[in-house]
Amino acid sequence: MSTLIHCDNLSKRFGSKTALANVSFSLQQGDVAALIGPNGAGKTTLFSILCGYLRADSGSVSLLGHKPGSSALCGLLAALPQDAQFDPAFSIGEQLDFYGRLQGLSHKAAKLETDRVLALVELSAQRKHKAAALSHGMRKRAAIAQAFIGSPRLVLLDEPTAGLDPAHALQIRQLISQLSSQLGSQVSFMISSHNIFELEQLCNKVLYLQQGQLSSPADNKDSDGAEQYLTLLLEQQADQPLLALLQQLPGLISVRPGQKNQLLLSYNSDQQPQFDLELLQCLAAHGYRYRNLIKGQTLEQKLFSAS
Amino acid sequence: MPHLITLLRHTGLYAGFELRRLWQTRSGLMTLAATLVIWGLLFRYAIVPAADLIASRGFTDFISGLFGHNGISQLRSWPAPELAVYWFFSLWLLPLLSLFFTANQLCPDIERGTARFLTLRSSRSSLVLGRFAGQLVVQGCLILLTLLATLAVASWRAGGMTPAMLSAALVIWLNLLLVVAPFTAIMALFSALVRSAKLAVSLAIISLGLGFALLSWFIFYFPDFLFLFSYVPGAQVIQLLPLHGWQTFKLAALPLWQTALLLGLACLLLRRKAL
Repeated sequence: MSTLIHCDNLSKRFGSKTALANVSFSLQQGDVAALIGPNGAGKTTLFSILCGYLRADSGSVSLLGHKPGSSALCGLLAALPQDAQFDPAFSIGEQLDFYGRLQGLSHKAAKLETDRVLALVELSAQRKHKAAALSHGMRKRAAIAQAFIGSPRLVLLDEPTAGLDPAHALQIRQLISQLSSQLGSQVSFMISSHNIFELEQLCNKVLYLQQGQLSSPADNKDSDGAEQYLTLLLEQQADQPLLALLQQLPGLISVRPGQKNQLLLSYNSDQQPQFDLELLQCLAAHGYRYRNLIKGQTLEQKLFSAS
Repeated sequence: MPHLITLLRHTGLYAGFELRRLWQTRSGLMTLAATLVIWGLLFRYAIVPAADLIASRGFTDFISGLFGHNGISQLRSWPAPELAVYWFFSLWLLPLLSLFFTANQLCPDIERGTARFLTLRSSRSSLVLGRFAGQLVVQGCLILLTLLATLAVASWRAGGMTPAMLSAALVIWLNLLLVVAPFTAIMALFSALVRSAKLAVSLAIISLGLGFALLSWFIFYFPDFLFLFSYVPGAQVIQLLPLHGWQTFKLAALPLWQTALLLGLACLLLRRKAL
């Protein structure tokens, strides 16, 4: 697999504030990477450097073997920049046609491509509308549509579902998921979001930024050798008798409470490969009802397990 | 070489998009309307009565005062008085109008974030050059419209159009494009620097005014540097007025290199600017 993004000791300061401090990571072809972090962690700064909108103070970045902002990346790198707006003087369709033309498409091909990407985000009927005539969510979807013009190899999406209603947020998640599975290794995504649930569904790699530092570049995998995890959501809060019962299950390493009615269990899969079945039988035998059982930890638990 | 071809292709696309902005958008049509109002007044009070104006004592005294007797005789050498008056007023008016009409080349896109969409698909230099070329094409269209109207008035008065009139109109059109080019390039530079068209216009007026004042002060104490005045944008205008016909192109080099220098600075500035 080839490396699509390679960042080495990337740093950026705004006055006395450090936005990024020695950030290093790489993204492989076909990866769908999540960029997570609290407000002000440096996510948008990192995106802006990758897109060539900002220059890093130090360190090096390469995308598909080129420097950010290089003409060689035109058409290969697509992005949804945060807060970028369309030109209010022209219709959305005219602007997407123009973007297609800039990407090297013929006049006719650009129009067809505009039709295709607008259909992807369910905005075909709004082709002739100007940005001012669209709602915030529609404008966001039109901005997402521009990121899918042509055949980009790397798509950077900064908060793609922020401001969208649940139905369209789901549609965008499905679109990303569908494209990443359809195109496989031909296209890679990097997505920043506050919605951990969303990123968990879409991404196989997690970059966690905190105060400008990348603290846990980790694969979004659910196992660590023989130690496996289960996340159990009960219908009622776990009581002491239940915890005592669970402690007796063969193979259990630890059990600790998560959020409301949630328990996080770790077990040794070599010792007890059918631990999940044992757990469910134990719950049924003692009359405990559960709402769901997730294999592995949630991304939230992985990132914030200390809290 | 492929980079140059891509740069030229993108520049052409941006220029074409700006031309569409003139004819197909509300803001473009407003620019067109403003131009028509200004030139309508000029037509009514200067170009239609051009023959009388050139013959009038006040106008000839004014021209003679500025350029000597040679100035008025050169102005009378144009094949039609309407073209002479059009030439005189355009040379004064267009640089100023250019500052106002081309102030929004880059700043609205940078401020709105549209430049982020664009620079993912083209280089920043092609954005600067394309917007500049677009504004020049737009101004070329507006100048052509008013020039055609002037030619129509001149032919109507003279009872027909002569080849000399057409040749003079072509000379005027090309010269006016050369005159507005450095001012359009100044606005490319300032619109890359500030956040709004109003600020860009203010900055241009202040910079040009202050630059001229400082240069005057400097030359007052060091008169040997008087030649520096000839490098100020628009410096050739005063030399162009008493000229006519193809001889006007002997002054073409100055605006061309001024434009190239200013566009180079604008490209450099935008390349280093955070979007």
